[in-house]
Amino acid sequence: MASDLLSIGASGAQAARVALDVTAQNISNASSEGYVRRSVRLAEVSSSGGIGTIGDVSLSGVRVDRVVRNADQFRQAEVRRTGADAARADAEVAGLENIESAVDQSGVYDAMVRFQGSLQQLVGDPTSTSLRANVIEDARTMVGTFNIASTALTSAGQTLQFEATDGVNQVNTLAQELARVNLRLSRAADATSDQTALLDQRDSLLQQISAYSDVNAQINSVDGTVTVRIGGSSGEKLLDGGSAYALSMAVDPTAGTLSFTIAMPTGGTAPVSATGGSLAGKAQALAKLDDVRSRLNGLADSLMSTVNGAQTAGADLNGVAGTPLFSGSGAGGMTLALSNGAGIATAPASALGTPGSRDAGNLNNLRQALATSNPTGGMDALLFDISGTVAGRKVTREALATIAGSARVSLAAQAGVDLDNEAANLIRYQQAFQASGRVMQTAKDIFDTLVAIR
Amino acid sequence: MTSISTSNSAFYERSIMDLASLRSQAQDLQTSLSSGQRLARSSDDPVAASRLRQLALADNVSGIDEVNAQRASTDLQLTDGALSSFADYVARTKELATQAANGTMTDAQRAGIGQEISAIRDNVIQLANSRNAAGGALFGGQSAGDAYGTDPTTGLYGYIGTASPNALPLGDGQTVTPALTGPQVLGFTVGGSSTDLLAALKTLGDALQAGGAAAQAAAKDGIAAMNAATDSITTAQTVVGSRMAWLDLTTTRRTDLSQMRADEENTVGGTDAASTIARLQQTMTVLEASQASFVKLAGLSLFNLLN
Repeated sequence: MASDLLSIGASGAQAARVALDVTAQNISNASSEGYVRRSVRLAEVSSSGGIGTIGDVSLSGVRVDRVVRNADQFRQAEVRRTGADAARADAEVAGLENIESAVDQSGVYDAMVRFQGSLQQLVGDPTSTSLRANVIEDARTMVGTFNIASTALTSAGQTLQFEATDGVNQVNTLAQELARVNLRLSRAADATSDQTALLDQRDSLLQQISAYSDVNAQINSVDGTVTVRIGGSSGEKLLDGGSAYALSMAVDPTAGTLSFTIAMPTGGTAPVSATGGSLAGKAQALAKLDDVRSRLNGLADSLMSTVNGAQTAGADLNGVAGTPLFSGSGAGGMTLALSNGAGIATAPASALGTPGSRDAGNLNNLRQALATSNPTGGMDALLFDISGTVAGRKVTREALATIAGSARVSLAAQAGVDLDNEAANLIRYQQAFQASGRVMQTAKDIFDTLVAIR
Repeated sequence: MTSISTSNSAFYERSIMDLASLRSQAQDLQTSLSSGQRLARSSDDPVAASRLRQLALADNVSGIDEVNAQRASTDLQLTDGALSSFADYVARTKELATQAANGTMTDAQRAGIGQEISAIRDNVIQLANSRNAAGGALFGGQSAGDAYGTDPTTGLYGYIGTASPNALPLGDGQTVTPALTGPQVLGFTVGGSSTDLLAALKTLGDALQAGGAAAQAAAKDGIAAMNAATDSITTAQTVVGSRMAWLDLTTTRRTDLSQMRADEENTVGGTDAASTIARLQQTMTVLEASQASFVKLAGLSLFNLLN
């Protein structure tokens, strides 16, 4: 007899056990990050008849063919790509919002308005010491807010640089981790639970790297190892087999902008042009920050030269030539040079030598010059530019977040665990196990029947 | 075996996305309701934020224009008061000169009248050197000191202020000159030569006190001079009156504009309470329904039915 009822029942029970184990594994990992649902593929064990045994019954039960990992590489690639875009937009908006807060909430605009207002008020009574003191104090506030805006911009830039440094370290750590996974994958047996766990790890690491930079992953169809290129499909290799290449970052000392390079397999380095991931977002935010800072410095410089130019052209309350109101350069270096209100040169040069002149000619010239160079208008334009950029990027971010979210949901729907399904499987395999047990019972009954013949 | 049903993680992921988005919408609406401001930061609506900044600038400038207008109004009222006093003194002087021109007057009587006129001149000098609200010479233009005094170069007594006072800005490029200079008020032309009230009073007072035949002629000249001075002062009063009317006009206009700005600020940056509350209610209804259905669906597990 070529088939054995007892061993057929035993193989069925064993297969059901494995299927139950896999189901239990699925249930317990229902919310594990990066876990892909497994299923068991069973195959019949039987042999076709040979010479002389044609028509023979030759059945040997069932075996576990392979553990199937229900991952869709296309959806995974979509999750990585859209995730990188969303991470870039997120990082850029976060950086830009910091820039916006730095300039908007420092109150520079309000302080400039008040300074111009106090100059206008001084026209009413150019010799009033209280109005002069008011101008000096408003100028002091304005200098303070310019300093605050500049400091806040610098600190926003430093935060972005610090986070980018951390991001580069993370990418390198993850790439090394992925290199180790690659090595183990090349040695793992096909279609085992060991390999599926490594594949899960591989996909999870790839997804984590893609949050920092846009990566292109090419998966070897034989052993499941991955080759990763950074900065798109034509970019340099970040990872090839068991070797990871170091990504490094340089900060421009004056502008504070970022540039990335990667070590080449042949030695030397190559520049990386990242268009996705949080590193690219931070680089874009820093480029905008540099632009904003230079425009803020330009405004501060133009304001100082306008006021100082008018100051030195006139005569102050004591009838001597006016001295500059501000000193230093740039928004951060701006300081108040005059602390006594009597030093404000309201009178024209013709009043030199005449203390206490009520002639507001030079003050009017100053106000005229300020109205022409219009620093408040420039500040309004700068604020509008920043907030407009933030508002526009926010729309982009919402769109990209929605796209990334639906890509994630679509992957999760396909690769995630459905508990109802698993509950059904649990019953199904439990019943299969019980049925196989019954088969073994039947084999024993048959044996007993045969033995009982006398 | 492939699954076409929704996996658990996908269900939770989707629910989290939907609930979080609804919650943040509700929070934004709530913030705008409680602050009364539609914009929490400039990037919420850059165009509106820029408009609000310009409106705030205009408000600030308008507040200072208001102060300047009040200052100008005070100075003009002071000027007006001084002009009335000048007019009274001129009227009194004319009365006295008319008496002195009478041929029946004795030299002694004319000398007495002359002394009174000299006293009037002293009062006029004090009045001409009176101060404005800020403590400067009211009729002295931009002079740092008095309006009338001894000229340091010529040594003669006369106007030592500057030619014109400072003009005060009233906003929108409009200005007002809140004072008149001494020559504008007290200067006049009589008999083809230009003089001023102080010189005329001095001439008249001295001539009357000196007595003689010239005194009566001087008194007659004095009447003519006082007539001219009255004309000059009346003209100045008209100027002051029209400037005060101009101030009233610009103040009305400023109030109108500031009301319009407040309206616009409210439209651009304020919260429309009715629609915001309605939208908040709508969002809350949807959020509550989503939460309830989430709880129901999440509790719907086959495991609960297996015993």
